[in-house]
Amino acid sequence: MDRLLRQLSQLAITVFGIVTVTFFLVRMIPGDPAQYMLGDYATEEALATLRAQLGLDQPVYVQYGLYVLRAVTGDFGSSVVTGRPALEEILFSLPDSAILAFAGLAVAVVIGIPLGILTAERQGSWSDMLIMIVALFGISFPVFWLGLASVLLFSQELKWFPALGASSGGGLLTHLHHLVLPAGVLGISVAAYITRLTRSAMLEVLGQDCIRVARAMGVPERRVVWRLALKNALVPILAIVGVTFAWSLGSAILIEVVFSRPGIGSMILKAVSARDYQLVQAGVLVLAVAVVLVNSLLDLAYGLVDPRLSTR
Amino acid sequence: MDGINRKERAGRIERSGVNRRQFGTLLAAGALVAGSGWPLPASAAPPVLRVRIGSDIGNLDPARIFQIENQTVATQIFNGLVKYDEATNAIVPDLATGWEISGDGTVYSFALRGGVTWHKGFGPFTSDDVKFSFERVLDPQTGSSYSGQLASIKSIETPSPDRVVITLKEPNSGFLHKVSAFNQGWIVSRKALGEIGDKAFALNPVGTGPFVFQNWAPGREVKLSANKDYFAGAPKVEEVQFRVIKDETAAAIALENGEVDIFFGLQQPEVIQRLKGGGLVTVLDRDANHTINLVLNTSIKPLGDVRVRQAIYHAINRKALIDGFFKGTKTEASGFLTSSFQEFTDQVPLFPYDPAKAKALLKEAGVGSFSLDLVAPGANPYDKIVVPIASDLAAVGIDAKIKVLERGAYLQARNKGTVPTCVTGVVGAPDPDSPILSLFAKSSFPPGLNTAHYEGIEDLIAAARQAQGDAARKEVYGKIQAKVMGDVPVIPLYADHLFIAHTKKVSGFVQNSLFTMSAYPVSLLEA
Repeated sequence: MDRLLRQLSQLAITVFGIVTVTFFLVRMIPGDPAQYMLGDYATEEALATLRAQLGLDQPVYVQYGLYVLRAVTGDFGSSVVTGRPALEEILFSLPDSAILAFAGLAVAVVIGIPLGILTAERQGSWSDMLIMIVALFGISFPVFWLGLASVLLFSQELKWFPALGASSGGGLLTHLHHLVLPAGVLGISVAAYITRLTRSAMLEVLGQDCIRVARAMGVPERRVVWRLALKNALVPILAIVGVTFAWSLGSAILIEVVFSRPGIGSMILKAVSARDYQLVQAGVLVLAVAVVLVNSLLDLAYGLVDPRLSTR
Repeated sequence: MDGINRKERAGRIERSGVNRRQFGTLLAAGALVAGSGWPLPASAAPPVLRVRIGSDIGNLDPARIFQIENQTVATQIFNGLVKYDEATNAIVPDLATGWEISGDGTVYSFALRGGVTWHKGFGPFTSDDVKFSFERVLDPQTGSSYSGQLASIKSIETPSPDRVVITLKEPNSGFLHKVSAFNQGWIVSRKALGEIGDKAFALNPVGTGPFVFQNWAPGREVKLSANKDYFAGAPKVEEVQFRVIKDETAAAIALENGEVDIFFGLQQPEVIQRLKGGGLVTVLDRDANHTINLVLNTSIKPLGDVRVRQAIYHAINRKALIDGFFKGTKTEASGFLTSSFQEFTDQVPLFPYDPAKAKALLKEAGVGSFSLDLVAPGANPYDKIVVPIASDLAAVGIDAKIKVLERGAYLQARNKGTVPTCVTGVVGAPDPDSPILSLFAKSSFPPGLNTAHYEGIEDLIAAARQAQGDAARKEVYGKIQAKVMGDVPVIPLYADHLFIAHTKKVSGFVQNSLFTMSAYPVSLLEA
């Protein structure tokens, strides 16, 4: 219970810090939301009216105070472009982002962890070298390049999958059909990262005394690697998955742009260029909560994997 | 691995979940599924027209509308009193069936079409809606960016539901342009706005147009359905979906795959070439209603000297820019108006590429080498075209420094009026009054768009408004174009050229020069 409370208070402090930093950072970008909305023909009166309506005529610290007061009651303001509640707009695009991030992560875990174990097991062999080189390429190639290349190959040439990463209707199968390429590309780029880190974690564990003892006692190698070593390496691997979740959310922005897939990433990007302050803040808040929550869940999972950690 | 031989390892692999044979079977099955295609689905009946837009929409309220994507969607929903003919740009009836102009050019009396109803059961359209729409734009509380466009209106009377009489403060020969179906000219329903409310109306618009707004999924698409009761007859497609696809390459592939029917906002030269070369789709093009200009701030030294401005004009190799950078996808401009304007003339002073003459003019003006900031917004292609321009200027001894600013920062800098130069285009309807007033009138000095601080044509602007009849207007606007292009407050870099591509299924499509598109005449053939 204490542990849960501590986790929750850490979560609250982290989110508050992130939102505050975002609030001031966004306002440091030059440019006027009113000007953006009203465009080239706007008169000074029209601009002043809109600024007053948006509360932008107040000093920044007053805006901040009002923002925090409202946020506590769950009111994160309205998008200056569409006039709709900012949090509502962000939450509307949350499922798209979450599906992509989790599908990508699933692909990455399914590919990355077994490959990482395999390479650790066969350290120095040609297959280890080959996989590590491929993984290096996977990390080095920009996600958007992989995305465009996969669209050209699988969509344009082979016509197996649609070029667009989201469908506007149809059943589950149609949605899955549209999801394959974006999730695959995101998964592969993250898998390379997971492979390398899993390999290091496994190598470290495989070098430990307990493994030598197990081997000396004649425990079958498969059991040594997949049960003993993997169990010990699972904590760092889980930590890697937590880190890569945040990282894959970042990559998801590029995926969303290349595959024209709606999501929080592309929405925040658009909101930044439109100086849509409320939408940027709501978006960053939701992302921050997602990352912190996933990491907190993983923290709790460490305890299950390794009981020593839960008593710390 | 110590002490484990190959045989043992092979045995272990056998014992693990999947053996080699099973793995092979899986691979083969995978290849079969992949090879069988899971083919791209054919488009669904009833006929749905799918249009690619490059950016999401945000506001469809005519009083506050901005951005070409919003305008493209709104144009399917709303009507104006008059509209531009898609093919010729001539002003033709829309909600008004005819109009009379008083002898002194100050009273416009419009006869309105009968039997027109608002979408979603908001009742009949009447003259009161016209009065409401224009007064709403003029009301400072609305904060409309178009209030200046309708500023010449003195009063609006509604003697009967099918007649509206607009009295102007002074004659304005271009008034029909102001009430044409674009931005401030679109008519909204008083009843609908009252019930829906200003804020919600922006994304739940009610119009009289051929399509009815259905819903908007942020970042994804906008759906419109056919207005079966449209006064000019029901549209030929049941539904229009505007799908947000940012990347042009992805959009091109989607078009060729038949995932979308119309590629709106086609701009990248490489993508245009690719679609043209592929031969799978139809690529249309025509001149837009605007030029992209390099504005020279005449209030800053040494740009105050007309010879320096002319020298800069001579120094820029605009043809190389069009052929090299844009691969021929833009056209050369002789002035700030394009040939799509009925008042266009090419009888203006010309300053062809001539670096030697540029150097001579600079020498004549007694100007040694100086440095000049080229300010551009950080958006393709503006942030890139300044590079060849800077190198052209360097060749005649002007040390041009490129300053690319993010759009918000750019607008702020330009509106302060302190930038020595800036790259800008004034996109809009083929109404000469709007770009001339915005770019060259004293009333548009910063924070307006007259970043050049130019004031050489005040009397001609007044004369243009008084001029009645096409011939008289053409003469005055001809004089304006000649005077401005001789004084060089702006250098027209190129005339924008619009491209739109569609699949072979699309028929009846007419490309306009407004940067928008109408789905109304489009029908879809069976593939």
